[in-house]
Amino acid sequence: MILTAALGLPMLGALALAVSSRWTETAARRCAIAVSVLPVLLLIWAWRQFDPQGALFQFVEEVPWVPSLGMGYRLGVDGIALAVATMSALVFSASIAYPVDTKHQPRQYYAWMLFLQSVSLGVFLALDLLLFYVFFDLSLVGMFFLIGRWGHGQAQLAAFKFFLYTFCGSLLLLLAIIGLYLSVEPHTFDMRVLIEQQPLAGAGMTAALVFLALMLGFAIKTPMVPVHTWLPQAHVDAPGPVSAILAGVLLKMGTYGIIRIPFAMMAETFSRHALVIALFAVASILYGAFVALGQRNLKRRIAYTSINHMGYTVLGIAVAGALIQDTGYARELALVGATVEMVAHGLITGALFLICGSFWQRTEEYDLDSYGGLLRQAPWLTAFAVLASFASLGLPGLAGFVAEFHIFAGTFGVYPWLAVIGVLGILVTAALFLQMLQKVFFGAMPERWAQFEDLRPIEWGVLAVLSAGFVIIGVAPAFLLTLVEASATLLVGGR
Amino acid sequence: MLWSVPLLPLLAALVIHGVGKRWPGDDRGRAVLTLAGVAITVATLLLVSIAVTADWSGTYRWSSRVVLSLGMTSASAVFAIVVPLIAAPIIVYSAYHEASPVSGRETVRPPVGLVALLTAFVGAMELLVLAEDFVTLLIAWELVGACSWALIAHEWQKAGNLRDATWAFLVTRFGDLGLYIAAAAAFAGTGSFAFADLAQLDGWRLDVFVAGVVLAAAAKSAQVPFSPWLFAAMSGPTPVSALLHAATMVAAGIYLVVRLHAELSAVAWFAPVAITLGLTTALAGGLVACLQGHAKKLLAASTSAQYGLMWLAAGAGFPSVALVHFVTHAFTKAALFLAAGIAERHVDSYSLTAMRLGRLLPGVAAASMVASLALAGVVPLSAAWSKEKIVTAAGHQASWLAVIVAVAAGLSALYATRFQLLAFGRGRHDRMSEAVSRPGHSWAEAVALYLLAAGTLALSLLWWPGVGNGLADWLSVHFPGTRPWELILSLLLVALGMGLGAWAVRREVTGARRPGATRTGVADWLGLPMLAARGAEAMLMFSHGLARFDDRAVDAGIRGSARFGAWLARLGERRGEGAFDGATNQLAKGIDWAGQVARRAHTGQMHHYYTGIAAGLAAILIILSIGALL
Repeated sequence: MILTAALGLPMLGALALAVSSRWTETAARRCAIAVSVLPVLLLIWAWRQFDPQGALFQFVEEVPWVPSLGMGYRLGVDGIALAVATMSALVFSASIAYPVDTKHQPRQYYAWMLFLQSVSLGVFLALDLLLFYVFFDLSLVGMFFLIGRWGHGQAQLAAFKFFLYTFCGSLLLLLAIIGLYLSVEPHTFDMRVLIEQQPLAGAGMTAALVFLALMLGFAIKTPMVPVHTWLPQAHVDAPGPVSAILAGVLLKMGTYGIIRIPFAMMAETFSRHALVIALFAVASILYGAFVALGQRNLKRRIAYTSINHMGYTVLGIAVAGALIQDTGYARELALVGATVEMVAHGLITGALFLICGSFWQRTEEYDLDSYGGLLRQAPWLTAFAVLASFASLGLPGLAGFVAEFHIFAGTFGVYPWLAVIGVLGILVTAALFLQMLQKVFFGAMPERWAQFEDLRPIEWGVLAVLSAGFVIIGVAPAFLLTLVEASATLLVGGR
Repeated sequence: MLWSVPLLPLLAALVIHGVGKRWPGDDRGRAVLTLAGVAITVATLLLVSIAVTADWSGTYRWSSRVVLSLGMTSASAVFAIVVPLIAAPIIVYSAYHEASPVSGRETVRPPVGLVALLTAFVGAMELLVLAEDFVTLLIAWELVGACSWALIAHEWQKAGNLRDATWAFLVTRFGDLGLYIAAAAAFAGTGSFAFADLAQLDGWRLDVFVAGVVLAAAAKSAQVPFSPWLFAAMSGPTPVSALLHAATMVAAGIYLVVRLHAELSAVAWFAPVAITLGLTTALAGGLVACLQGHAKKLLAASTSAQYGLMWLAAGAGFPSVALVHFVTHAFTKAALFLAAGIAERHVDSYSLTAMRLGRLLPGVAAASMVASLALAGVVPLSAAWSKEKIVTAAGHQASWLAVIVAVAAGLSALYATRFQLLAFGRGRHDRMSEAVSRPGHSWAEAVALYLLAAGTLALSLLWWPGVGNGLADWLSVHFPGTRPWELILSLLLVALGMGLGAWAVRREVTGARRPGATRTGVADWLGLPMLAARGAEAMLMFSHGLARFDDRAVDAGIRGSARFGAWLARLGERRGEGAFDGATNQLAKGIDWAGQVARRAHTGQMHHYYTGIAAGLAAILIILSIGALL
C-alpha cells in the first residue's frame, strides 16, 4: 500500500485543487507543498524497510484489471526504482515549493504539478508494462500544459515541439511493448514475467526491431544525440521549477526505461548492441559538453549539460549490459554508477534550474554576458550556484563524482578506450561551468543589477535541501550505494 | 582515528568561515583569526605526531567494492608533518598581509575567507598524503585543485583573476583525468582500488596505470608542458602562492611519485620518462627564472625547476632524495614568497627592477638571503644538501647526467642570486624616502618570514655528520653516497651561477634598456602560455561552431519534418479536400440520376408493370438456367 499511497495522494491533491474554484493562492500553495511532501516521506519509509538481501522487486502490489489481456495494476520497486523515485518525489516537492509566477492561476498550476508528480512516480513504481506506458504518456500531458501555460518566450511552440517529439518516441515504445506482450505465452504485461522469461532471446529480426523501437523511444526521452533538440527549447521557455522537473525527473524516465525494459527483458539482444549504445553515449557526453560550452544563454547552457550527464548514465547502462566474460565487477560498478548519476543529476540539475528560475523572476534575462559580479549583491545565490556547479562538474565530496567515478571505473573494465575518450567530458564540463560562474558572479558588476536581490528564505530553504542531498551522497553514499548495489548485482547476474 | 587529521582542518575551516564574519573588523579581529588559524594547524600537527607514533589508520566503507582507507607510510608522515608546519607561518602572514575583498569599501576587514580556505587546503592535502586507495586519493586530489581555484580567485572583483583561476584548474584537471584512468585501470586489473593490491597489476593495464599517474603528477607539479599554470596561479594572493608551491598543490605531484615509486618503476619506461621530464623542466624552468622580471613569476618558474629536480631523483631510483629535497625546498620557497610579498607592499609592484629594498628592510633582506642562498645551493645550507644528493643520484645513472644536473643546479644559483640582489640589494630606496607613502608590512608578516628562514637554517643540520644517516634510518631508506668530483663540479657551477647572477644584476640595474622580444618570450615560459591560449581559443570557437551546427543542422531535420507535415496539411486542405468533396458530390449526383431513372418506371400504367415483371422473370430464369448449366 505504500506505493499506491505514494502515487495516489498527489493525485487526490490534484483532484481537490481541480474541482473547487475557491482556493486562494496561499491555500493552494500550502496544500500542494504539504501533499507533495507525503510521497517523499512514504518512499523514505519504504527505503528503510527495503531488504537488500531480499527479492529483486519488493513492496509488490497486484490487482487484476483486465485478466483476459494479462493487464493488471501492478506496483513494486527494486533498489534502482526506489532510489530514482525518492529523488523524483523530492525534486517535485522542491519545485512545487519554489516561488514562481503562477500567472493568476495558482490552483491550476499546483494541480498540474501534483498530477505530474503522481504520474511520474507511477512510471518508476509500475511493474506492469501497460501501466508504465500509460503513466509515461500522461507525464507528457502534464508537462505540455505546464510549459505552454506558465512558460515564457515562445512557450506554446516549445510545449508543442516537446509534446510531438516525445510523443513520437512513446508511440514507438507502444509498438515495442505490444511486440514484447505478444512474444510471451500466455500473453502478459507483467514485468517480472518478462524479465524472468527473456521472451525474445534468439528471436532474430523481431527482437532487433522491438529493441530498436524501445531504444529509439527511450533515446528521445533521455535525450541522446542526435534526437535531443526538443530539450533546449523546452527548457529555455519553461518556468524554472518546471525545468527542474523536466531535467530532474522526466529525463530519468528514458534511462530508467532502458534499465527496466531493454536491459532487463532483452539481455541477449542488449549485449549484442551494447557497444553501439556505448558509442552513442560517448558521443552524447562529448557533444553535449561542447555544445553547452558554446551557449551564451544561461539556461540553454545548463540544458545541454543534461545531455552530457545523461550520456554518462547511458554509458554506464550500456557497459553493464555488455555481457563480456570476467567483467562482472566492472559491469556492476557501471550500473551502480548509472543509477547514482540519475539521482545526482536530478538533485544537482534540479537545483541549477531552480537557480535559473530565481534569475528569471528577478531580471527576465538569461544572457550570460549581461551579468557580472553578482557575488556582491547576492552572496547566498552565488554560494548555491557555485556549489551546484562544482557538483555538476564532478567535484569529489559531491554526488556527481560518486556517479561518474563508478561509471568510468566500470567502463574501463569493459571498453577501456571508451573510458579514456569519455573522461575528457569532465574537463569540458569543468570549463563550461567555471566560465559560467566567472561571467555571472565574479568580476565587475554592471550598474543595471544594483537592485539585484539575494535569495528569499523559501528559495534558500529549498536550495539548501537539494544541496544537502547531493552533499550527503557525495560524502557518505553508503546508504544509496547499498540499496542500488543490491539490485545491480541481481540485474547483472552476479547473485 | 586517522580521519581526524584531515577532518579537523576541513571542519574547522567551515567553522571559521561561519563564525569569522562576526569577529571585529580591526586588529583584534586579526589577532583572533591568526590565533584560530595557528591553533588549528598546531592541533593538526599534534594529531599527526600522535598518529605517527601510535600508527593510526582508518577505513570508511562506501559499498562492497569501494572502501576508503587512510594509512601512514614514511613518505606520508613526512608530508603530513611538513604541511601544517609550513602552513602555520603562512596563515599568520596572510591574516595580516591580506584583507577581505567582499566588504573592502569602508574598513579593511581581516581575510576570514582566505584563512578558512587555507585551513581547508591543509585538510585536503592531509587527506591526499594519507590516502591508501585511489578513491580517497582522487577525492583529495581534486579537492586540492578546487581549493586552489578558490584561492587564486580570492580577489574576485577582477575578472582576470577568475580567468587565471579557471585556467589553473583546467590544466591541473586535465592531469586529473590521468588519475581517473589510473584508478580505473587499477580496478580493472585487481578488482579493488587499494594501493596495497597494486602489485597484482600487470600487462597493458600496468602501462596505462603508470601513464595515468605520470600525467596526473606531472600536471600537478607543473612539469613541462604544464608548467605555465603556475604563472596563472600568480594572480592569487602571495600567501596562497607560498602554500601552493611549498607544501600543497604542486607538492601533491611529487608526493604521488614518491609514494607509488615501487609500482611506477615496475615498467621499464618510467625511469627515462621521469628523468627526461624532470631534466627538461629543470633546465627550461631555470632559464625562464633567469630572465623573468616579475618577482613571483621568477619564483614560480624556479618551483617548476626544483620539482623537476625531484622528478629526476625519483626517476633515477631515489625517491627518498626527492622527499628530502621537497622538505628543504618547502621552507626556502615559502620564505622567498613571503619576502616577495613584503617587498611588493613597499613598492606596490612585483617588478624586480623597482625593488632593491636592502637598505629599507635589512631584517627581511637577511632572512630572504638565507633562503636565497639555500635555493642557490650554497654549502652548508639545507637545500644544498638535498641538491647534492640529487646530483649524486643522477650520477648513479650516468656521469653525463650528473653533469647536466649540476648545470641545472647552477641555473638555480644564478636566478636565486638575481632574485636576492634585485629584490633586496642595496639600492636607491632608503628609510626616509619610501617608508612614508607605502602601506609597508606588519611585524607579524616579518615574524612569519623569520620562522621559515629559521626552518631553513635548522634543516641545514643535514650537513652535520651522522644526521643524514639518521634520517635515512628513520625513513628506512638509503641515500646515495656523494662522490668527490661531483661535489666539486657542482660547487664550482654554483659559484659560477652566482657570479653570473651578480653580473646580470649589475647589467640590469645600470642599463635602462628594455628587454627584447625574444627575452620576454622566453621569460614567459618559452611561449607556452601563448600556445595554450591559442588552443583554448580554438576550443571555444569549435564549441560555438558546434552550437550553431546543433541549432541549424541537427534541429533542421525536426523543423523539416514539421514543415513537411504542415505542407501535407495544406495540400490536403487545398487539393485533397476538394477531391474528396468532389467525389462525394459526384456520387450524390450519380445516385440522384439513378433515382430519376428509377422514378421514370413508376408510370401508373398496368402494361408497363407487366412488361417489367415479365422482363424480371425472364432475367431470373436466365440466371437460374445459367446456374443449373454450370
